[in-house]
Amino acid sequence: MKTLILGIGNPILTDDAAGICVANEIKKLFLPNVEVIETSLSGISLLDYVVGYERLIIIDSIKTEKEAPGTLYKLKLEDIGNSATPSYSHGINIRTAIELGRKLGYKIPKIIEIYAIEIKDNTTFAEECTPAVKSKIPGIVDEITKIIKSDSPPS
Amino acid sequence: MAKRITIDPITRLEGHGKIEIFLNDKGNVEKAFFQVPELRGFEKFSEGRMAEEMPRITPKICGVCPTAHHMASGKALDDLFHVTPPSSAKKIRELINSAFMAEDHTLHFFFLGGPDFIVGPQAPAGERNILGVIQKVGLDAGKKVINIRKRLRNIITKQGGRVIHPVCNLPGGVSKGVTKEDREEYIQTGKDAVEFARFALKAFEDIVLKNKEYVDVIVGDIYKHKTYYMGLVDEDNKVNFYDGDIRVVDPEGKEFAKFKSREYLNHIEEHVEPWSYIKFPYLKDVGWKGFVDGKDSGVYRVAPLARLNASDGMATPLAQVEYEKMYDILGGKPVHNTLAYHWARLVELLYATERLLELAQDEEILDPDVRNIPTAVPDEGIGVVEAPRGTLYHHYKTDDNGVITGVNLIVATVNNAASICMSIEKAAKGLIKEGKVSEELLNMVEMAFRAYDPCLACATHSLPGHMPLEINIRDHETNIIETVRRL
Repeated sequence: MKTLILGIGNPILTDDAAGICVANEIKKLFLPNVEVIETSLSGISLLDYVVGYERLIIIDSIKTEKEAPGTLYKLKLEDIGNSATPSYSHGINIRTAIELGRKLGYKIPKIIEIYAIEIKDNTTFAEECTPAVKSKIPGIVDEITKIIKSDSPPS
Repeated sequence: MAKRITIDPITRLEGHGKIEIFLNDKGNVEKAFFQVPELRGFEKFSEGRMAEEMPRITPKICGVCPTAHHMASGKALDDLFHVTPPSSAKKIRELINSAFMAEDHTLHFFFLGGPDFIVGPQAPAGERNILGVIQKVGLDAGKKVINIRKRLRNIITKQGGRVIHPVCNLPGGVSKGVTKEDREEYIQTGKDAVEFARFALKAFEDIVLKNKEYVDVIVGDIYKHKTYYMGLVDEDNKVNFYDGDIRVVDPEGKEFAKFKSREYLNHIEEHVEPWSYIKFPYLKDVGWKGFVDGKDSGVYRVAPLARLNASDGMATPLAQVEYEKMYDILGGKPVHNTLAYHWARLVELLYATERLLELAQDEEILDPDVRNIPTAVPDEGIGVVEAPRGTLYHHYKTDDNGVITGVNLIVATVNNAASICMSIEKAAKGLIKEGKVSEELLNMVEMAFRAYDPCLACATHSLPGHMPLEINIRDHETNIIETVRRL
């Protein structure tokens, strides 16, 4: 299955980069049929990447402050709020971009999985994740890699 | 195994797009503020790094306008190292910047302005969204938008090295020239982009200008502020996005100041409010008089409408025609109606595409001599460009070895921060009476937001990936009496 892994984040904003860090590690494994892209793009621009793939795996950070930093969540696209009425350019998210792509008839991946990593700090400029998040990254890489290799995403 | 959760819709960075409205003891609006989260330590993060790294670091401040930061940073390095890039390099940078302005303005008009102007200000909330825009303009037009943006972004990718965070600017020039094959492609993209911009203006004319109700909304009193305006101009006082002098006109449209990048601190000061870490820039020679408009208030505005107001016209022929038409219909210069930002943005879109085509067709752009090697000792450099959301200032200081010792940035939207607060306050005053909040409040605040398109501290990409708008209404004892939000 032609798969795209999209690691989303800002590489200079501490834990915001968690998704990028995980994607980077997976990239080094050279998994067959899997392309890995790290990006700091927002919204509609993400649409340019995802067209043409059968399976899309998004790895991003999240700050719920309800679980320990480094906790991994699995989300569906519908779990993310709809942003179809944006108030500013930053107000458009990937769910809206994908809905728009489908509406316009682009070949959008049929399977979309989102992995979100609970983070601690995404407001301080730094190139490294906080220790709590950093220490969890190898385990998260293993977990997501196993899921990709199984090639049959759990529902 | 990964946990499954449903995201709390307001899970987000604290403070994002948060609006605070304070009422007096009679329940009427006293003041309104717009707050954004504080990102900490950029200056400290930059200190001790080699100055050459700045064009690669600063684009990461923003996921929407990285190219503008790369350009301002490149220009600041030229100044810092006392080196002038060859003409070809300047043109290549401007080509990239023009492609960026065109793609960003396209995104804005169709996806942000669209809900208000294409679907219509009176349309039901459920239709006033991106999908409603596509419904109205048609699927083919929707694909046209996606396609032209992709091709424009391709120019940034090829010349900039990477689309997200370009890496081509070096002190004294760029890292890569333009090949003949690529140039042919850019010319074709430029031609198609000009046609696309004309299509966008035609759509605006058909859908908005031919509808009296829409025009009344634009020229109405709502969000009208008689402020000063700022923008970069060329030697003929025409709008330029990449280079030139900074020109300021007063609320009557008369030139108030014209200065070089290096002189910006002589003209701009920043006001600090106790409730916000944001600094509110104002004109030093007029002074800070609070969140008010008029000739005696140093509040100025930037971005599309401000640039057009601050100039004597557009440097390309088709955009000039549209510029004149806009002022004819809106009753002459300057135009103070904030919602006219949407129209001005389209005039600029046409200019950006025409300029892109001109540059791509220029023989000099093939000149392989794209860099002058700096030889002087670096000390201090300032670079200013026009970003889609306004005038962007980068200011660096270094030691003799080019190691950063100080950084000051005025990001585009910050220039508009005071007037954003003023627009929100004006909308709120009309819609909150004696403690009763009209349902229209959220819509009206959003409309003001979309015109300015605030872009403050938006460097994070954590889920849910968008920033819900939230308005807290507080009584005279600052207790929250109501919260309205768009999730």
